[in-house]
Amino acid sequence: MEFTLLGAAFVAVIPIHFVLSWEAKRTNAAMCARNLWDISLGAVVAGVFVGRLAAMLGDGVNPLTHPGDILIIRGGVATGPATIAAIATAAWFGRGVLWPVLDGLAASALAGLAGWHAGCLVRGTCLGTPSGLPWAVSQEGSAVGRHPVEIYAAVLLIAAAVVLVWSRMKWTLPPGAPTGIALAVAAGVRLITEPLRPSLGGGPVWWYVAGFAAGIATAIWAWRRAGTQPASDTS
Amino acid sequence: MHRIITLLAVALILASCSGSSVDISEVPELPTTTAEDINALLADSDEPVVVNVWASWCVPCRSEAPLLARAAEQDGVAFIGINVRDDQGGARGFIAEFLSDAPIDHYFDSPGDIPVALGATRGVPITLFYAPGGELVRIHSGVIDERTLALQIDEIKAR
Repeated sequence: MEFTLLGAAFVAVIPIHFVLSWEAKRTNAAMCARNLWDISLGAVVAGVFVGRLAAMLGDGVNPLTHPGDILIIRGGVATGPATIAAIATAAWFGRGVLWPVLDGLAASALAGLAGWHAGCLVRGTCLGTPSGLPWAVSQEGSAVGRHPVEIYAAVLLIAAAVVLVWSRMKWTLPPGAPTGIALAVAAGVRLITEPLRPSLGGGPVWWYVAGFAAGIATAIWAWRRAGTQPASDTS
Repeated sequence: MHRIITLLAVALILASCSGSSVDISEVPELPTTTAEDINALLADSDEPVVVNVWASWCVPCRSEAPLLARAAEQDGVAFIGINVRDDQGGARGFIAEFLSDAPIDHYFDSPGDIPVALGATRGVPITLFYAPGGELVRIHSGVIDERTLALQIDEIKAR
């Protein structure tokens, strides 16, 4: 793996660990932080693996005849399949206590995504489309100012993670609601920042729309379900 | 879980049956060239140019090939491929499998001296970005991702 990518991965997992530890002390988590940490790492690995396979198939490269290419993560990871695989893996590990596990991972997943985006500082990939705003930044040797789009995404995601942890400390959110909110925020942030990213024909916008809709639907379902059950079931 | 694994295996096997590659006999031999010829080509270009240094034995080159093929379809930027430390059979096989439809002009540099003469290293893959007229703007060593490629194409178009 390329070293800057490895550096960005470290920047991503540190906030996951920090938020899990921080939240475990302050909320009534169903599982201890150590288990959630193990599950989150397993989900990340599964997500990257499936996302890489999907990207290879999408590019017309056969993983059976070129298995070594699977390791070239920078060659592309399909966001949508990777997200589905990560959530499915977390759900699999958390079967029997599905919502407490997914809800417990929700804020840390947002923080991890924020770290991944902030990892652009390590990789040198923060720059977006041209901008004349005062905080626009240029790459070395260039006069073209650009949006620091990945920093925008990192700030939005870390703010959302803090608000989610604070909300879980202050109120008893119904099971599934934090998961839905986190999914909607993660997809929504990608959706609104995507036009600011340079790309070859647009990013996977429909995956982000689908993720946002699925997150909102999950949160609404969680609140409606909580409203139709005795209060003791929603703790 | 077993069903999921079975479905995944079936999907991969089906994927292995497909492929957009052409027969190697349809790919002509790559012309041999020199650093002087490439520099003259770059200096004469009215368009920005992306030069990709690759080899058929290079796994990361294979990984980025579909992305380069897609980028080469864009208007307003030309693509040149320089095959290094390879043989004609390997190079033509690589093009047949991954780059058959891409509008990229490929050249053969068996000793691998051209990238060094252009200011890069002897590694592969390497991608060099030139403004119109042949000004070298950026050298990217290693696998290039879509974001970086799009950003650097944007930069050389803006010059």
